[in-house]
Amino acid sequence: MLLKCRMSLSEFILDVDVALKSRVAAIFGPSGAGKTSLLEGIAGLRNLDSGEIVIDGRTLFSSARKINLPPRERAIGYVPQEAALFPHLSVRDNILFGANAAARNGGADISVEQVVALLEIGPLLERAIERISGGEAQRVALARALLSRPRLLLLDEPLASLDIGLKERILPYLRRVRDELAIPMIYVTHDPVEVLSLADWVIMLDRGRLVANGRPREVFTSGAVAAQLDRDQLENVFDGVVVESSIEEGRSRIRLNAGLDLFIPYSPQPPGSAVQIGIRADDILIAIRPPEGISAGNVIEGTIGHIESLMGQAILRVQAGPDFFARLTPPAVSRLGLKPGAHVFLIIKTRSCVIL
Amino acid sequence: MSESIWQITFFSLLVALASTIIILPFATFMAWLLARKTWPGKTIVETVVMLPLVIPPVATGLILLKIFGRRSPLGGWLYDRGVEILFNWKGVLVAMAVMSFPLLVRSARTAFAEVNPRLEQIAATLGAAAPRIFFAVTLPLAWRGIVAGCLLAYSRALGEFGATIMVAGNIPGRTQTLSLAIFSFVQLGRDEEAFALLGITLMLAFAAVALSERLARTKIKI
Repeated sequence: MLLKCRMSLSEFILDVDVALKSRVAAIFGPSGAGKTSLLEGIAGLRNLDSGEIVIDGRTLFSSARKINLPPRERAIGYVPQEAALFPHLSVRDNILFGANAAARNGGADISVEQVVALLEIGPLLERAIERISGGEAQRVALARALLSRPRLLLLDEPLASLDIGLKERILPYLRRVRDELAIPMIYVTHDPVEVLSLADWVIMLDRGRLVANGRPREVFTSGAVAAQLDRDQLENVFDGVVVESSIEEGRSRIRLNAGLDLFIPYSPQPPGSAVQIGIRADDILIAIRPPEGISAGNVIEGTIGHIESLMGQAILRVQAGPDFFARLTPPAVSRLGLKPGAHVFLIIKTRSCVIL
Repeated sequence: MSESIWQITFFSLLVALASTIIILPFATFMAWLLARKTWPGKTIVETVVMLPLVIPPVATGLILLKIFGRRSPLGGWLYDRGVEILFNWKGVLVAMAVMSFPLLVRSARTAFAEVNPRLEQIAATLGAAAPRIFFAVTLPLAWRGIVAGCLLAYSRALGEFGATIMVAGNIPGRTQTLSLAIFSFVQLGRDEEAFALLGITLMLAFAAVALSERLARTKIKI
């Protein structure tokens, strides 16, 4: 996938030149960084001044070769932030709108039944658009894009819409789409947790310029980027499965894919369910001796791999099965005498682990 | 007497209906162009289309008289082919169509402008070509405004006086419409017929207003 885009926006010039080999790439950056404009440029909804866009071996745009395919011939599924469902059609007619184009687009073969089951929209099919919630609308918009059998799926901040509650989060559905359908995706977001949860590559934009480009965990823990992240934003994200749950104890035990067990607050999902756990880097305590007499549910032994010292903060990478990131203040680092290779204990409250 | 009243009513309703049906596709297309496209000289086209709204109807009638007169290129060309527009029902039709065209264009243009262009963009990414986008997305979302515009245009056509009298005259049994007949009957002191026609006009007006109010209230649904 080659994205070479230059376009004049009202406040700055968007200039991106990047080759992506990953299947799920995230475009990350603050609002107003030009992320949506870049997506619209790829979809053909906004004109580029110059550049070249090659997806799946097909050239969609090339100023040098005077190629500029119209949106309908680009075979791109676009899911805008506001879902933009057709208000005069039922849910069923919405998701079938692009089915005519499916054969021509020639992306991964997906049946209506498959998409309906995957996104759990069966009960909605006969409803009018005004009778579904914000989270449901996002799933319907995703289904509609998928059924046109696109060669690339563009998702514009599907989680940013304010009227979507936490319970309705679309993230688990996006992971299913990623894991069960062979469709490349580009995902726009300003939330690092979503990037870590979904993407295997991230490009970071700021005022139209590419400021970082790489694997999400590396980009988000590199000095320049981590310094910009707010308290909530630097998070550890792990994949795992539910081992056991007890409603009386109020907790569930999760086995991470890297082979470590964690206690999290009670989750009703049956044992064997795949889950993704998020732990904020600020919510991890570090001890240099085995802690005793504390309430935290998780105490994990590990070795410090790396310490990134920044202005006013230090980010530790601790090898403990998977790599954990913890954020401390510089005095804490010096008081404990932390350095790479040191043996430490990570203390994580059960409540600090959340299912994404 | 009552026979001529029914003839006048029927003739007016029919020609106004024909006028509305004829202008509908052109006005809809023009409205869509004005709402969605830009091109050099758009302002000129806009002005010409809206002209009949702002100049006196009699003046519009005079312009039409010149355009369709036998000595003008268009009128002469039509006359050579056996088509005469002026001073028969076709003149009434032309006058009504030209006078009501801008009203329909205005309503339809507003209706198109209110359709979120994002939906059309999304339809394009789903593989729809321009005609399908128009008929499957834009038109179904704008249809209420267009129908309301049709009612407006139809009412305007029924009430048309100034341009009609210039282009078609006021010939009883041939070009006399409701509005022209009310005027004539009052002039002749035949108040009974004038009031009968007034009653019919009022009933039609009530029906039109009721219908458009109803359309305005119903939710988007087809």
